[in-house]
Amino acid sequence: MDQLTHLLEGFSVALTPSNLLFLVIGAVLGTAVGVLPGLGSAMAVALLLPVTFSLDPTGAFIMFASIYFGGLFGDSTAGILLNTPGNSSAIATTFEGHRMAKDGRAAKALGTSAIGAFLGGTIACVLVVFFSPAIVRLATVMGPAEYFALTVFAFVAIAAVVADSIVRGLVSLGLGFAVGMVGIDAMSGAERFTGGTPVLFDGISIIVVTVGLLAIGEVLHVAGRIRTAGGNGPFLSPKGSPLLNRREWRQALPAFLRGTAFGVPFGAIPVGGSEVPTFLAYGTEKRLARRRGDADFGTRGAIQGVAAPEAAGNATAGSAMGALLALGLPTSATAAMMIAAFQQYGMQPGPLLFERSGDLVWPLLASLFLGLGILLIINLPFAALWARLLVIPRHYLYAGIAVVAMLGVYAISSRVLDLWMALAIGVVGVIMRHFSLPIAPVLIAAILGPMAETQLRRALAVSEGDPTALVASPFTIVLYLLLAATVAVSVVQHLRHARAERATKARVPA
Amino acid sequence: MTGGTTAARERAAQPQAPRPQQARRWSTGRGELWVAGGVLALAGALASGTATMEVPDGVAAPGPQFFPWLVVGLLAVVGVALGAQVLLQARRAHADGGAPATMSNDLLEDLGAIDGTSELRIVSPADAAPAPGEDPEDDGARLDVRTIALTVAALAGFALALTWLGWILSAAALFWALARLFGSGRPLLDVGVAVIVASVIQLAFGAGLGLPLPAGILEGVVPWTS
Repeated sequence: MDQLTHLLEGFSVALTPSNLLFLVIGAVLGTAVGVLPGLGSAMAVALLLPVTFSLDPTGAFIMFASIYFGGLFGDSTAGILLNTPGNSSAIATTFEGHRMAKDGRAAKALGTSAIGAFLGGTIACVLVVFFSPAIVRLATVMGPAEYFALTVFAFVAIAAVVADSIVRGLVSLGLGFAVGMVGIDAMSGAERFTGGTPVLFDGISIIVVTVGLLAIGEVLHVAGRIRTAGGNGPFLSPKGSPLLNRREWRQALPAFLRGTAFGVPFGAIPVGGSEVPTFLAYGTEKRLARRRGDADFGTRGAIQGVAAPEAAGNATAGSAMGALLALGLPTSATAAMMIAAFQQYGMQPGPLLFERSGDLVWPLLASLFLGLGILLIINLPFAALWARLLVIPRHYLYAGIAVVAMLGVYAISSRVLDLWMALAIGVVGVIMRHFSLPIAPVLIAAILGPMAETQLRRALAVSEGDPTALVASPFTIVLYLLLAATVAVSVVQHLRHARAERATKARVPA
Repeated sequence: MTGGTTAARERAAQPQAPRPQQARRWSTGRGELWVAGGVLALAGALASGTATMEVPDGVAAPGPQFFPWLVVGLLAVVGVALGAQVLLQARRAHADGGAPATMSNDLLEDLGAIDGTSELRIVSPADAAPAPGEDPEDDGARLDVRTIALTVAALAGFALALTWLGWILSAAALFWALARLFGSGRPLLDVGVAVIVASVIQLAFGAGLGLPLPAGILEGVVPWTS
């Protein structure tokens, strides 16, 4: 129970006025970017990274973590009220949530989603606190070969899951590797792909890459269609109490727990964030409703269909924080940004972080609990108020995003050159979107690529070039087997859908 | 909401991918061959960069060229595979990735037991359905390239003007130009909003957090810019 004393000490640090301020700022910002479609917590963290150079790292990370959770709280609001989910993590919630809203139970749907997000996140954080020593112990026996296997797993899993075709995922991954290799090689000191210009010796800043791909890419992408796109649909204003009564609790509580059970394991493995577990949770509730003969599900909207995906979404954020801190493995785009933040402060997340920077880790974990509480307070009664953000005209919203993106890029090192690089990367980003090449693998590869390279070279140096050393331990064998299974499932699925698509096309000439 | 818009929404609500907003499907067409070509060109550039790399003496066995060669191989293989895919199924439509972290639609449909009737009707983006009779091959043309180009030009203009004009003027100009490009109909009001946004950022990040934002030609005119 060592970790409980650590956690209590963490609370005492997290409860200082300045850290509480960062916590609240993060919660408000996170909810706002969650509510607004087209913005996400990964972009928010990337934009804040250069600005937080001068801050104390503990405060900065507390803010980033509450942005991460806040984004998952806010994303369902627009989905429920307007039928336009703020982020892909809220699509599964929107199905039943918007039905409930149309049925006059918008307040109930918003309440259920806030409570679900709180419960899912809290349970996941409790598990992280209890299992962190075990994860750290596991991580300390890991050598270069094991770490390399872990990164390979991350690469292939994200490429296979994120795109409509594995080839597209791999293309994105390759682009990310290419970006990550620019600069001076840390192990040998050789210049790589710098073209001899000293400005590239430090490599291309990951902030430039992220802001370019996510923020500027999004602005350009919207520019390409804003004149033809329609406005928002009818706005359903929530009435009544967001709190659940006893009967609704009886319906929702098992769904909350089932959703959390899907979310926790998926947060710790790199499959691109919370989409997979939220859809899994939704599918499970749908099948259960069918078995129960629940007529509400799919018609009036069932509370379980909101409760489970929402709990699953925030549970992934909890265990993603655990995987990030204890293993140094980013399992979502936002977690990847936090790795970049650690690197900015000269720290490397992983097992050693708990030993070397315990004064940062435990306040951060404590602040997760506080943040979830604050988010529940600012979301449960005020969800309708947050939805007012959607009234901001879109031309101001995207002009503002562009200005803030430029600010963030310029703030990295006050260089105009960074602005040009971000603009060029933004153009690449809009081309990628146009051809449905996924963005997330680029970020993961650009951040984890150099790490994977270092581990691979170390492993091969130790074994004197013998590649079998990479698969010598049971841990690596298990990981590679899991990897093969993931790829097999994905390939089978793509083939099945391609066949089904051909069959539909043959029936209905499009 | 009038009956007319509701009917339009109903029409738009045909089964399609569960994407937030912008779920229009792009027919990737042969234009994607350029992407495959670009990937191969990048592979070529990296290969020449790797081959001509100056490696310091006495570097341990897997040197700085080892990993780049792996990446070159990966890019070459996926570039060829992408080209082959485009040629073999040129008309296959792909869901357009509106959200940054796009997921495989097929996978999500399986996981969520989504049958393409109930769920997909409910999440319907406003601009989902192509007008009847429209050529699906024509999708690429509907991307408003002119606005994109003008937006890029505005951002480039900002990068050029920043050190000369200073943050407040250039950021306000960028904001105004983009609001106008994105369809704002009130340019005079926009001037006010743009100046306020730029000044608030200057105050919060420049004066508040100590970020060195260039003052430009306003140097000394307004005391709190520096």
